[in-house]
Amino acid sequence: MKKGKKMSLMKAPENTPVWTDESRCKACDLCVAVCPAGVLAMRPDPHSVLGAMISVIEPDSCIGCNECELACPDFAIYVADKKEYKFAKLSQQAKERAKKIAENNYMILGA
Amino acid sequence: MSKREVISSGNDLAARAAVDAGCRFFGGYPITPSSEVMHTISDLLPKVGGACMQMEDEIAGICSAIGASMSGVRSMTATSGPGISLKAENIGLAQIAEVPLVIVNVMRGGPSTGLPTRVQQGDVLQAKNPTHGDVRTIVLCPGNLEECYTETVRAFNLADRFMQPVFVLLDETLGHMHAKATLPSLQEVEEGIQLRRQFVGDPEEYRPYDVPEDEPAILNPMFKGYRYHYTGLHHGPTGFPTEDAEVCDRLIKRLFNKVDAHTDEIESYEEYMLDDAEYLVVAYGSTSLAAREAVNRLREEGVKIGMFRPITLFPSPDAKMKELQQRFGNKVYMAELNMGQYVESFERATGMHRDEFVTHFKANGRPISPADMVAKIKEELL
Amino acid sequence: MAFNYDQYLRTDKLPTLWCWGCGDGVILKAFIRAIDKLGINKDDMCIVSGIGCSGRFSSYVDCNTVHTTHGRTVAYATGIKMANPDKHVFCIAGDGDGLAIGGNHTIHGCRRNIDINLILINNFIYGLTNSQTSPTTPQGMWTVTMKRGNIDPTFDACKLAEGAGASFIAREKVNDPRKLEKVFVEAFKHKGFSFIDVFSNCHINLGRKNKMGSAMANLDWIDEITVSKKKFDAMSEEERKGLFPTGILKQDEEALEYSAMYEKVKEAYQNNTKVEL
Repeated sequence: MKKGKKMSLMKAPENTPVWTDESRCKACDLCVAVCPAGVLAMRPDPHSVLGAMISVIEPDSCIGCNECELACPDFAIYVADKKEYKFAKLSQQAKERAKKIAENNYMILGA
Repeated sequence: MSKREVISSGNDLAARAAVDAGCRFFGGYPITPSSEVMHTISDLLPKVGGACMQMEDEIAGICSAIGASMSGVRSMTATSGPGISLKAENIGLAQIAEVPLVIVNVMRGGPSTGLPTRVQQGDVLQAKNPTHGDVRTIVLCPGNLEECYTETVRAFNLADRFMQPVFVLLDETLGHMHAKATLPSLQEVEEGIQLRRQFVGDPEEYRPYDVPEDEPAILNPMFKGYRYHYTGLHHGPTGFPTEDAEVCDRLIKRLFNKVDAHTDEIESYEEYMLDDAEYLVVAYGSTSLAAREAVNRLREEGVKIGMFRPITLFPSPDAKMKELQQRFGNKVYMAELNMGQYVESFERATGMHRDEFVTHFKANGRPISPADMVAKIKEELL
Repeated sequence: MAFNYDQYLRTDKLPTLWCWGCGDGVILKAFIRAIDKLGINKDDMCIVSGIGCSGRFSSYVDCNTVHTTHGRTVAYATGIKMANPDKHVFCIAGDGDGLAIGGNHTIHGCRRNIDINLILINNFIYGLTNSQTSPTTPQGMWTVTMKRGNIDPTFDACKLAEGAGASFIAREKVNDPRKLEKVFVEAFKHKGFSFIDVFSNCHINLGRKNKMGSAMANLDWIDEITVSKKKFDAMSEEERKGLFPTGILKQDEEALEYSAMYEKVKEAYQNNTKVEL
C-alpha cells in the first residue's frame, strides 16, 4: 500500500484557506449547509441554472475542517492544509452566522 | 505439416477450433444441444492458461465473454436458440461497441422450448437480426464436420477483422454427429491467425472510434496504457456517448459500411456439380448433407443437377444468387429445416417469388431425407 | 495542499451530468481518494457501470471504463477479471441495476466470491428514468408507478450479499464521506467479492415528492434510517425496525477467492492432477 503520490495534491493559492471553481459549482448549497463557521454563502447569479453561485464570504473564520470539500459532489471547492494556512478556531459568532445563513436559504445575509 | 485426421463431433470440433485459433475465454450456460462445446472447452482452456466460465444464466454467459473480449482476449460463447433470444440485448452492445466475439448457435427445434434434442434451422433470420435496432451481422453456417472446425477458426479471424460478433450456426445434427474429419494442421491454423488491429502511437492521440467510414474501430487491449470508454449508447470518435445527429448518423452508417464494403472478405459458398447442371438445388448446414446425396442419386439416374451451398449466410451472396437465377431461371429446389427463412434472401436476390420455384420446408425437428428430396424434385421440379 | 482529483478524472467531461447535490459525485470523490491511498495505478484498473445515473460514473474516471447494459455489470466484470486476474475491477450499480434486473448477477458474484468490488449506489429509487419504484424504495413513499403510496416491500441488500456468500460486506452513506473512503480502502484491499451498499440522496426524483426536496433534507432522512453497527447490534429487535446498520458488516479474509481458485484449475489441467482447494 503506497501513500498518496505528490501529483495528487495541489497547492493552495497564496494566503487562502478555501477556494472555489465557479465553472464547476452547481449551487447545490451542500458546502454552505455543512460549514460550521459561516465562511460560505450563495450569492445571486443570473447566469447560473439555479440563479445562485458559491461565495467565500468570511475566509478568516475558516477552521480548515474540510467538510465543504468532502460534501461537494462537483470538485468545485478546495481547502488548504495546515502547513499552508493558519486556520481560525471556531467562534461563537461564526456559528451564529452559519445558522443565520442556513435560515436564509443558504444565501448571503442581506442580499 | 500434415493435416490431422480425427474422429469427433461438430460441438467438440468447434471447441477445439476456438482454442487452436487463440480463444482464451469462454462464457456460457448449459443448453441442449450445445453443451458439449462448453464441456470440451472447459478441458481445453485451462490447459493453455485460458478460462472457461459456466455462468449463472445465458445473459451472463455472453456478458462475461464480451467483457473478456473488451479487455483484449479472443472470446466465445455457445448456446442454442433460446439462449440467443436471451442474449439479444447484449449482442447489440457488442455490435454497436464493436467488440469481437464468436457466438456458436447449435440450432434446435423452436420456437420457445421447442424440441431441445432435435434438429432445425429455425434461427437463421434471428442471426440476421439478433437484436433491436439496425445491425449488419456476419453469419457462418458449416455444412459438414470439417467446417465445424474451419468455420469456427474463420469466425475468430472475421470477428477481429470486422470488430463485431460473428455467428457460427451449427445444428443438432452437425453438433452431435460423430465421425471422421480431416482438419488443417495446427501450424496452418496458427499461421492464419489475424488479430485485431491495434493503435501504437501516443495514448494522448488515441481515438478508438475515429476511423474511416468503411473500417472498424481500433480497440486496444485494456491495461496497456490506452484508457478509453466503451458504451452501448451511440458514441463519437472517442467512444463517449453522444446524441449529435451527424455523429450518430456517421456511426450507424459506418457499422454497416465496414461489412458491406468488404463482403469479398466474408463471402463463402460451395458450388457442387453446377458446371453442366440444368437444375439447381439450394441448401445449407446439415440439410446440405442430404441434398448432396440427393444430387448424387439423381446424377446416377442421368439428371443434370447440382447444388449451391451458401457457407456465409449473411451478408448474403446476392450477386452470386442473381447469377444463378439468370442461369437456371425457376428450375430451383430449395430445402431448409424451417418455415422458409433463408428463402427470403434468395427471393430478394433473384427477384423470384417462392411460388415460382420448388421449396421444401420442414420444422418438426426431423431432417429431410435424401429420398424425400429426390421424390419432391422428381414430382415438382423435373 | 488539497487533494487533486483531476489526476484521476476525464476533466473534459465535467461538470458531471448529475443533478445539483447528487450523492453520486460524493461517492466518486471518495472512490478516487481510496484508489489514490492504495496507490492503484490507472492502468491496472477497470470500472464497469450499468444503466442509470450510477451508470455514468465510469465515464468520469480516467482508466479503462465500460458502460454496459442494465443489470449486467457484475457479469461483464467477471469476464474482464477472469481474463485479467491480476487487475482491479470495480462495478458501479444502482439499486435497480444491482438488485432488480441485476439481482441474479449480484448473487452469483457474491457466491463465487470473485475479487470484484461492487459499489451499490442505493438512492431508493430509479433516478435517471424518473422515479419508478426500486427494490429498496420504502413502503408508503410516492413513486411514479405507485402514486398513492408504494406497497412493495423492500429488503436489506447486505443480507442478500451475506446469504449469497460475499466475503466483504459494508454499508455507508454519502453523509459520511470520510467513513465512506475508509470503507472503500478496506473493500478494495480485500481479496474476494466486496459488496458496499452506499446510501445516497436522490432529492430530485425521490425527495421532491416525498417531503425531502433538498439534498440536505434527503440526507437528514438517510441519517434517520441509519445507525452504526455497534449501536445496531446492541439494539432490540423492536428498536432495529426501519434502521440499517452502517460500517463493515462482514470481513472474511480466509474465504477462497474465485480467480485464485481458477488458477488451481489451470494447474490441475497442466499437471494432470485434481484441484486441491
